[in-house]
Amino acid sequence: MSELILDDVSVSRGSGPVVSGVSLVVKPGSLLTLVGPNGAGKTSLLESISGIVSTSKGNMSLDGVPLGKLSRIKRSRLGLVHVEQGRTVFPSLTVQENLELTAKSPTGVDEALELFPELQKRRSSASGLLSGGEQQMVVLARAFAARPKYLLIDEMSLGLAPVVFLRLLPIIRHIADSGVGILMVEQFAQLALKIADEAIVVTGGRVTYGGPAEPLMTDPALLHRAYLGMAEV
Amino acid sequence: MLQGASAGLAAGGLYAVIAVCLTLMARLVRVVNFSQVAIGMFAAYLAVIFAEQHLPQWAATAAGVCVGAVVSGLIGWIIAQWLPEAGIGARSAVSVASLLLLVSLSFILFGSKPKTFKSLLPGPAFSMGNVVVTQVTVVMVALALAVAVGCHVLLTKSKIGTKLRALSERPTTAELLGVPAKGLSIAVWAGTGLISAAAVSIVAPTQTNDPISLSFIIVPASAAALLGGFRRLDLAVVGGLALGMLQGALAQFEQMSVLRYWVPFLIIVVFLLWAERKEVWDVAR
Amino acid sequence: MLRANSLLARERMKPLAIAVACVLVGWLLSAVLPAYFVFLGTTAIVAMISLLGLGIVTGSAGMMALCQLSFAAVGAWAVSWLNSVDAPGGLVVWLPLGGLAAAAAGVVVGLPALRLRGVNLAVVTLGFAAAADLTLGKIQFPGTQTGIQVARPDLFPGDRRYFLFAVIVLALCSLLVHYLQASRWGSGWKFVAFSERGTASAGTSVTVTKLTAFGAGAFLAGVGGGLLSGQVGLVYPSSFTTIQSLALYVLAIVSGSYLIDMAVLGGILWVLVPELLKRFGISQDWGFVIFGALGIQSLTTGSNLGADLRAMWWRRTQRRRKSAEAPAAADAARAPAVPDAGTKVPAATSQTSAVPAAVRRPTSSAVSGAGALLSVRGLSVTFGHVTALSEVDLDLTEGSVTGLMGPNGAGKSTMVDALAGFLPQHQGTIQLAGQSLNGLSPMDRARLGIRRTFQQDRVPPTLSVGAYVRFIARGQASDERVEELLRFFNCPPPSTQLARVDVGTRRLIEVAANMAASPRLLLLDEPAAGLSHEEHVSFAEQLVQLPDRFGTTLLLIEHDLDMVRSVCNDLVVLNFGEVIASGQRDDVLANPQVMTAYMGELEVS
Repeated sequence: MSELILDDVSVSRGSGPVVSGVSLVVKPGSLLTLVGPNGAGKTSLLESISGIVSTSKGNMSLDGVPLGKLSRIKRSRLGLVHVEQGRTVFPSLTVQENLELTAKSPTGVDEALELFPELQKRRSSASGLLSGGEQQMVVLARAFAARPKYLLIDEMSLGLAPVVFLRLLPIIRHIADSGVGILMVEQFAQLALKIADEAIVVTGGRVTYGGPAEPLMTDPALLHRAYLGMAEV
Repeated sequence: MLQGASAGLAAGGLYAVIAVCLTLMARLVRVVNFSQVAIGMFAAYLAVIFAEQHLPQWAATAAGVCVGAVVSGLIGWIIAQWLPEAGIGARSAVSVASLLLLVSLSFILFGSKPKTFKSLLPGPAFSMGNVVVTQVTVVMVALALAVAVGCHVLLTKSKIGTKLRALSERPTTAELLGVPAKGLSIAVWAGTGLISAAAVSIVAPTQTNDPISLSFIIVPASAAALLGGFRRLDLAVVGGLALGMLQGALAQFEQMSVLRYWVPFLIIVVFLLWAERKEVWDVAR
Repeated sequence: MLRANSLLARERMKPLAIAVACVLVGWLLSAVLPAYFVFLGTTAIVAMISLLGLGIVTGSAGMMALCQLSFAAVGAWAVSWLNSVDAPGGLVVWLPLGGLAAAAAGVVVGLPALRLRGVNLAVVTLGFAAAADLTLGKIQFPGTQTGIQVARPDLFPGDRRYFLFAVIVLALCSLLVHYLQASRWGSGWKFVAFSERGTASAGTSVTVTKLTAFGAGAFLAGVGGGLLSGQVGLVYPSSFTTIQSLALYVLAIVSGSYLIDMAVLGGILWVLVPELLKRFGISQDWGFVIFGALGIQSLTTGSNLGADLRAMWWRRTQRRRKSAEAPAAADAARAPAVPDAGTKVPAATSQTSAVPAAVRRPTSSAVSGAGALLSVRGLSVTFGHVTALSEVDLDLTEGSVTGLMGPNGAGKSTMVDALAGFLPQHQGTIQLAGQSLNGLSPMDRARLGIRRTFQQDRVPPTLSVGAYVRFIARGQASDERVEELLRFFNCPPPSTQLARVDVGTRRLIEVAANMAASPRLLLLDEPAAGLSHEEHVSFAEQLVQLPDRFGTTLLLIEHDLDMVRSVCNDLVVLNFGEVIASGQRDDVLANPQVMTAYMGELEVS
């Protein structure tokens, strides 16, 4: 029962469903990548898991506990951490303070900073002054310091140069290997798939591929078809 | 003139304390609390009632201040419960309704005439030349500085301060990381309610203290808070003290009394127009 | 046709007829009501007129105005003064003059509103109210020292007659508000409450809109104040205290006084609640406690009496209509989704014959600049340290459809903002048909023919579809044209309230409305978001016809590659604020760099 399970989940926003009938399972220690074009409903799906928006249909459970109408705080206490889109550091807080917010033990901050040694010397800088890449490192380290059981990551690469994103990917893999179940939404599909165990492709709010990440990697046409609806490319 | 300015300093201290509370509220819980002084007024009047029940003055005041904190916390709870995602405008409008409610409730409970407050701090503290400085003035200025410094230290040095700042910068993100948004905002409401109740209780005996005059101290206080852009505590304190002294000095000249009424308004308008001269468009995209 | 005209005429006459009927009822009431109630009734009417004014500033234009009774005091002061100097014309003339004096005060207080919005403006108005309150206490109203009563009109002496006079004034004010709300001003007020950017993009001045709201609101308050001075003869400041202004503001919110009938109801509550309390021997101060509590309730639930009643009424009529109509007709109500089969043209083929050759699509708008409608050179935008756009060149040929693509955060919306004039600090030059746009405001650019739609919903739900389209079109389109465009985009009919239209359809209405303005260039920022796949396809078919049918050039931000492929002839791809590819659609799509930008592939697979 120790899994994050979504069963036939739909999410509606204003005009109608943006996600319909998505089922997926995130296992501890594994990395599931969710790819799909803009407007496919990926962000809404993550937001429904962490409780920012409510689902219109379907069930979700975390290690056997139904998430139902639980508040965001209660979900976070169950061990769910959601890294939102954009660089969500608290800009006036220093790197140290950002991490202290979530650190579970006095050594938590140091352990989290081991992921990114380059942040060590910027510990007491206001995080708003860091570069985009460094900010995302703070966000990842902060999430790690919370000792999550499950981690939702939304568009880590947004506005980052691919080179910078490449620096983050192994760390995400490392966090998964430490026993965290990760659900990662990414529009840079090709890069994200490299570290994924499994993949789901969502187009127009529906799952159009679900399974191992490998085939999507080795057969780009498959990805393009599922992803962009461009059979002829 | 100097005597006037010094006399205005006590009121200035009150403006400064309230301005600090308003700034904290705007920063931490996204509300311009129009009922900030009304809450204090309500507490101070309650203290008078308690004192009439043969409670010692300090106990009556303490009880009043505690009720003020509870009332403030209650309004905070209402806003946190039903308007958690609303903008600052909608949240502040609720405080306008609360102001109306509290003032008319005080009319009912305490009557609309000024009350005889027993002064907590009677008499002058010291005099410099022919300028007399009262105890109330000293305490109020000290309180204003203490509150501002205390809040600054709390925000920057304590764990709860870190959480509060996180909450004010990205409420949703903070909540996703397990920061209890609702509880903390209610605590901020209760805390500022407590501070403003204490401040009003000290100053009320020296002011025109009918419910309306007291409640509308919110106008000069928000003018002071605006000087700090509802963000900076130091400027809010300076603004409050300066405004109090200016009004006190102007009060010396009978023919300028009308001008004195307009000072807060004019300061608000001039300052805001200058501060926001560049901001042209509403929310991005 | 004749029938339709008489229907229309009857529709136009309806407000007048209602006003006349109200005056008749007022005349009847003035004759039969006990004297005490007649006097109270006049007080209620004064409140109603002030509430009508608040309905404009707060209800329609969404600005927090906490000094309505200070404006009323200005009106009362002016009337008292005119009376004390024995000005000619009597109260009938003094009333509008009092209103104008108040309007002038309103415009002055409203001036800060040009820069300030929301809660800062509330602080300003509260400061004004408090200062005016104290000042009035000091200087008093003219005539109170000498005891000169304000003279009532000769035709309306006595409280009963004066009540009738007040009813007539109320009827006239209501008519004024009705016609103002239906005018461009009224649409502008509702627009500016929802979005200032949207207002400016429609070519309407935000400044004028806000000031007219403040002026009109204060004018009504001034008329109310003047009416009060005729009622009581000698005016005292106690009628215009700040706390009463706050109570009136709260009451305006609770009742929803932007609706005329609700302002009337609000005025009745204003006197009825204290009166009832008095009857039961309860302190009248409970009245404001009740208003305060209702205000908190109304604000936290985001509802008001008027909207609730209207929604109830609408649901009831809908139910009735549904049970009355055949099921087939009910289906048609959702979507006139299928226009006549003949008009639905598969992308730009069968239309060809009707189109002059000059506006035929050129093969490509190569970056030459010759004959370009829009020409952008070296456009750079920075926010703080972040470079959102850097040295972008762009040329759009007249009659082309160009797609603007790029991953999230690439700078697409920044580009549209810069073109529409929302980023005056940008570097580089933008020219429309050879005329430089640098330094022009969004409003000026809209009037020159650059229109845009927004990624987020910028369609004020308080308007009807027709009022919205007319506002955006700025008189560029006849009623027939409006209806034609709405049909073309499968939009609901003009009488529909936008609040009852789903978000996807609102985007279509937004596009239709901007087309009604006959723009030379239309910038579309993800217009298809929120549409289903089927709607996507039909929307694409409609878009592709626009240049030929209406002579409009399009720049389209779009992610859906199917849509891009079926609509655009040229593509520009941005990444990290720079153009990484531009030119003919198929060339750009075949460019490996484009795939890299979209999918993060470092090497081409």
